[in-house]
This record gives sequence, structure tokens and C-alpha cells, in this order.
Amino acid sequence: MENRLNAAAIWLLILLQGAFVALGERTRDKMYEPIGGASCFRRLNGTHQTGCSSTYSGSVGVLHLINVDADLEFLLTSAPSPPYAPMIPPHLFTRSNLMRLKEAGPKNISVVLLINKATQMKQFSHELNCPNQYSGLNSSSETCDASNSAKNWNPWGTGLLHEDFPFPIYYIADLDQVDKLEKCFHKFNNYNYETHALRSLCAVEVKAFMSAAVNTEVCMRRTNFINNLGGSKYCDPLEGRNVYATLYPRKPAVENGLDTVHTNEKFILVSCRLDTASMFDGVGLGAMDSLLGFAVFTQVAYLLRQLLPAQSLLPDSLRNVLFVTFNGESYDYIGSQRFVYDMEHLDFPPKSAQSPPIAFDNIEFMLDIGTLDDIANIKLHALTGTTRAKQILEQLNNYAKSPRYGFNLDIQSEMSAHLPPTSAQSFLRRDRNFSALILNARPTNKYYHSIYDDIDNVDFNYANTSKDFTQLAEVNDFKNLRADSVQMKVRNVSSILAMTLYQTLTGKEYTGTKVANPVLADEFLYCFLQSADCPLFKASSYPSSQLTNLPPMRYISVLGGSQESSGYTYRLLGYLLSQPQPDIPKENCTNLPLHFFAGFNNIGECRLTTQNYSHALSPAFIVDGYEWSSGQYSTWTESTWSLFSARIFLRPSNVHQITTLSVGIVVLIISFCLVYIISSRSEVLFEDLPASNAALPLPTAC
Amino acid sequence: MDISKAPNPRKLELCRKYFFAGFAFLPFVWAINVCWFFQEAFHKPPYPEQSQIKKFVIFSAVGTLFWLIVLSAWIVIFQTNRTAWGATADYMSFIIPLGSA
Repeated sequence: MENRLNAAAIWLLILLQGAFVALGERTRDKMYEPIGGASCFRRLNGTHQTGCSSTYSGSVGVLHLINVDADLEFLLTSAPSPPYAPMIPPHLFTRSNLMRLKEAGPKNISVVLLINKATQMKQFSHELNCPNQYSGLNSSSETCDASNSAKNWNPWGTGLLHEDFPFPIYYIADLDQVDKLEKCFHKFNNYNYETHALRSLCAVEVKAFMSAAVNTEVCMRRTNFINNLGGSKYCDPLEGRNVYATLYPRKPAVENGLDTVHTNEKFILVSCRLDTASMFDGVGLGAMDSLLGFAVFTQVAYLLRQLLPAQSLLPDSLRNVLFVTFNGESYDYIGSQRFVYDMEHLDFPPKSAQSPPIAFDNIEFMLDIGTLDDIANIKLHALTGTTRAKQILEQLNNYAKSPRYGFNLDIQSEMSAHLPPTSAQSFLRRDRNFSALILNARPTNKYYHSIYDDIDNVDFNYANTSKDFTQLAEVNDFKNLRADSVQMKVRNVSSILAMTLYQTLTGKEYTGTKVANPVLADEFLYCFLQSADCPLFKASSYPSSQLTNLPPMRYISVLGGSQESSGYTYRLLGYLLSQPQPDIPKENCTNLPLHFFAGFNNIGECRLTTQNYSHALSPAFIVDGYEWSSGQYSTWTESTWSLFSARIFLRPSNVHQITTLSVGIVVLIISFCLVYIISSRSEVLFEDLPASNAALPLPTAC
Repeated sequence: MDISKAPNPRKLELCRKYFFAGFAFLPFVWAINVCWFFQEAFHKPPYPEQSQIKKFVIFSAVGTLFWLIVLSAWIVIFQTNRTAWGATADYMSFIIPLGSA
């Protein structure tokens, strides 16, 4: 009994001890504190590499908080213990500062951290003053003059997106993480700068190593190289999907056994940009730089779908509207260049659509919706003042100024080569006489192509009305939205556009009182700015689909990338431009063009759709032996990387590190000497011991 | 194998074999031949086969040296000009460095 008690007591003791002593924390976790954020990465074009990369094993720098320019000056002129990692708030993340850091080189500045303390920020755009300058109509200063802010398309642009940095740049959005960094800086670094070299300092290690280098030609050659041991990939072309849909369904290419190769259809091409760009991986909503135009585009499509009679009732029943949203336009018009290329080769629509090819002579004119920063200053751009341009302008203004609708807008016009950087330039580049009209507002976006072009930049407040966005609204019904809200702005511009197109197609002026529904704009912006788990995406998905509560990524990305935005756009255009087929049961509604949607009430409805994808991969990657530096097509590729990570730790001083190493070397040498001495004197030391094999018993004689 | 225990004709045969094998672009075989038979050729008391072994060892040493010079020259030339040669250098390479030209 006593024994048992003793045993139990011992067990209890062991367990108790174990609970307190055996903490399974790894040494690594004790040393390092992970920091969450987004990294800048490397992109390449036909001639250059841009973006950032860390060293192979990760770049390490001592944290230094930059509050004013003088702090930066200190790091660049009298840094006591380089390399440093400046933590820069957005208002000091300027071109001049970054270029000075770049000049200082990775020996002095090894990491740059951009911290999300945006209170003093006035502007933040890393795109060039002239976006896509070398892939447009021509690169002359007439189209865009980088040196003249009145004649360029992004006056606040710093062009940092097109610079190559020798250090990684890491963006830390979470203010708790920023706080963690600042605390570490104040506790270990921010005093007694003279002794920096002699003591342990709080440092950050950023891993963002990029495999590709030099330019697209080099990295594609290396990637495609068969001898490439282990088949490593260096870079991938930027690649995505354009989404298109027609207002009226088209006849299939093969009918009664006859293959149509040429149609007499006449299309009005309405287009906009689907993608956006920013410096950091996975961050950047592009709210103003492309989402507003995209919102107007969808509204126009839906309004026309609702207003127009059946195709056979149009004065010219061969007319149709082709809605295309181009992907990858931020990177030298990838989507539209490919679209033009496909159209030239009669490869549009893709074979899978099974509809007859659309050629350039099937396009009546193009109406391209560009950026709509300032709704009060919209201009209609065209290369030359054709009769069509004048007629459309007149019609636009007729509706914009009409007291019946009260839009109170005045649309100006500019008929010159000073064209905004939109998809239409790809078409005009092929043929200057192509009839392209561009609707574009005066540039006022101070955050063009940046992480801060977000919900606040467009001043969007989700109204969450739960009202039916599929109904058109009466012109006086604002649905409780403020007259100056972004939703109403989208409503106004899209109504004007749709009415003009209505008049073009029917030949009659629009006299109805129904206009675009601001609730649709509200829902659209909510989906793309706040959460994809939203009523509009739900309605245009299969019933009870699971959607994520993050807004879809709108960067074009590469093959195998998320491609979320084109996926949602595909469903959205499918839903908004389709015709309900109430007689077809769910079971029979499985093959395209029939598509089953959840619908606004989530009860499910079968609809006849017209939407499809077309490939947005630059023709440069499909033309054999393409001359990479020719500048004819977009050549953008994205480097591959294995991981992005950042962590902080205490970096020992150089003296400390050298001491540790020297002690190690001394111990190594001493141990060698010792072993030599022992081995040479073994007879003396181990005199009486028998040889090791003597201990074995002799084999028994049989 | 312990070369010292082999009979002299066997040593000569081995040395000759290694020397001729080296002509198949195998400079390391020559190098091994030199190391292996150096003692036999120069430090051992004379025996009838020694002069022949000595000859093979010297020739192997010359061959090794020749290869050493040629290879080091090529490596220096290739590494210093790799980026300038562009595509040609890439096609010659088996392992291409990541993240640099």
C-alpha cells in the first residue's frame, strides 16, 4: 500500500513538474517575431527589370524610424552601424527619397519598410506621369507630355513602379504590427547612437528573393531552356482573361451544317479596363483608377439590356452591342493588344464560343470608358473630329444637360492626339482611322495605381439598402442616397451613356423616366471594394455559392494566379446581360449559353447568357521569334519567388559576432592539438589497458 | 588495394592502363595515376619495370597539368564573360544562377 502511494506521489510530482517546466517553445520562436505585410516584387519587360528583391537568404537591416527628412539624412550621411532598414511613412515615400536610398546601395540601406501611417499623406502614385507611353498610339509628347503636368495623364505619378531597387520594400498595413516595430525601435535602437556599433540592435529580416533577372528575353529564354536542371521557372508572363458579352445573343457559327466565316453583324464596341496595379503583392483596389469606369460600364450594359426592344425590332436588326472589359491594361494594354491581334486573325470570339468570328469591319465604332476621376469634367476624346464623334457628343450633352433628368453635366470634347491611356489606343495604333471614342475625365486621382486608391479615395459609403437592384429606378428616386455620392455619380454618367447608345441603336430619342439604379452601383462598388460575399455576386452565382468576404484581387497576375476578378465579372455580365428563361427547369439549364443563377431573391433562375472569356496574354508570347525590344507588344513578366516573409529580432553587434566566431575557431584549434597530443601519448596514458579486441572471449574449440 | 603488395609486372600493367584510360578525356585518372605511382616511380629501390612506370607517371603528370591549365583558363574566361555572351552562355550552362544576370 505504502509503495503504491509512493509511486502515485512520484507520478504526480512528475506530471506537475512537466506541466510547468516542459514548455515546447522553439528557440527560433523565442528569437524572432514575425511581421505581416505585403512585399514589392520584380517585374520585367523587354528591356528592363523593375521592382525589388532581397538577397537569397533574406536582407537584414537595423530598424530606424523616419519621422522627418532629417532622420533620413542621418541614415544616409552618418549611419553608425549599417545596414539600416528605414521605416518610412507614405508622405516621405517620395521619388527623391527613394532614389537617394537606392543610390546609398544595399550595403547601407538593406530593407525599406513602408508603414501605414497615412495622416500626413497628400498624394501617393507610383505610376509614370504617362502610363503606357510606349505602347499607345505613339510615344510623342502630343499624346502625353511627362514634363508638363497639364498635358499628362497622371500628374502626381512618381514612376517608382518602374524603378529597380536593390533592396526589398515591405508594406506594413496593420497598425498593431507598426506599433510592434516602433516599440522595438524605441527600446533597443533609439538612444545613444554613438554606441550602435557596440550593442545589440532591433533589426528586421525580409525575405523576398526573386529568381528572374535582366529582362523578359533573358528570363523567358532561361525558363524555356530544356537543359534547365530541375525545370526551375524564372518568370511567368502576365496573363489573365478578358470578359466579353453581347447585348443580344448571336447565332452559332455552325448552322444547318454550314460554317459561317463572315457575318454582316454590326457591333458597337463598349469597353473598359478590368485590372489595376500597385507596387505591393495583393494590395490595391484601384477604386478610382479603374473601378468607377468599370461600374459605369456594367450599369450601361444593364440599362441597355432593360431599355432596348428585341433585336428584330431595331431599325437595323443586324446591330448589336459588344461589351468587353480588358484585363492587363495597366501593363501596356495586354488585353486589348491581344483582342486586336485575335480580331485581325479572325480568332475572336475564341473557338470555344462556337460563334462566327468578328472582324474589324463588323465594328461600327468603339466607345471606351476610361478613368472617371472628376465626374464634372468629363471629356469625349477622339483622334479626329468625325461626324460620328460630333453626333455622339451632341447626344451625350442632350441628355447630360436635359432638365428632364437633372444630371446637370456638361461633356466637353477634345479631338486631337492628346488621348488618355485607355484600351482604344491599341485599336488606333493598328489603324488611325478606326472609329474610337473615349470618355475620360480630367485626371484628379492623387493615388493612381497605388495601395491607397481605396474606398476612402472615392468616398464610398455602402448604403446597404437591401432593395432590388435589378429594377430600374425613376429619375427622381435617389434610393436615399446623397445626390453627391459616388453611387449617384455612377448612375448619372451611365444613364447618359446608355441613353445615347439607345438613341444610336433605335434612331429615336429616349424619353422615358427610368434611369440606372443607384442601388446597383452601390452593390457593385461594395462587392469590388469591401467584400465579394455581397448580394450582387450572390445573385449572379449558382444558388448557395460560398463566397469569400474579401474584395476580389484585380491585378492581372499570371497563369495559375487568382483570376478572381475576371471570374466574378464573367458571372456578373452573364447575369446582367442575359434573358430569363422561365420555362426551362433547373435540370435542363446546364449547358451554355443557358446558365443557372441564384438571382436577386436567391430562388434560382435559368437565363440565356452571352458572356465568355477571351485570352489576355500578350501576342509577344505567341508570335514565334518575337523581337523583345521592338516595343510592338507588351512584354511584361513577373518573376517567380519562393516566399515573402518578414521578422524582427535582436541583431548582435559586429564586435559580438566577431568574438563568437573567434572563440569558436580557437576552440577548434585547441581541440585538434589536444587530440593529437593524446593520440601520440596513448601508450603512456592508457598503459595497462588491453587492446580493445582482447576483451572478446576466445572461440570455443569444438 | 595496397599497391605495395602487388608484384612489379602487375604495377606496370596498372600504371599503363590508367595512363591510356586518361586519354578518354579523363584528366582525373591521370591525376590519380600520378599520386598512386609517384612513390613507386621515384622513391622505391630500382627494379626492371620502374623506368617504364616512371615514364607513364611523368606523362600523366604532364597531361594533368595541361588539363589544369586549359580548364582554369576556360573557367576564368567563361565566368568573366558569361553575362556578355548572353544566350550563348545560357545554352552552355547547366545551372543558371537565380536572380542575377
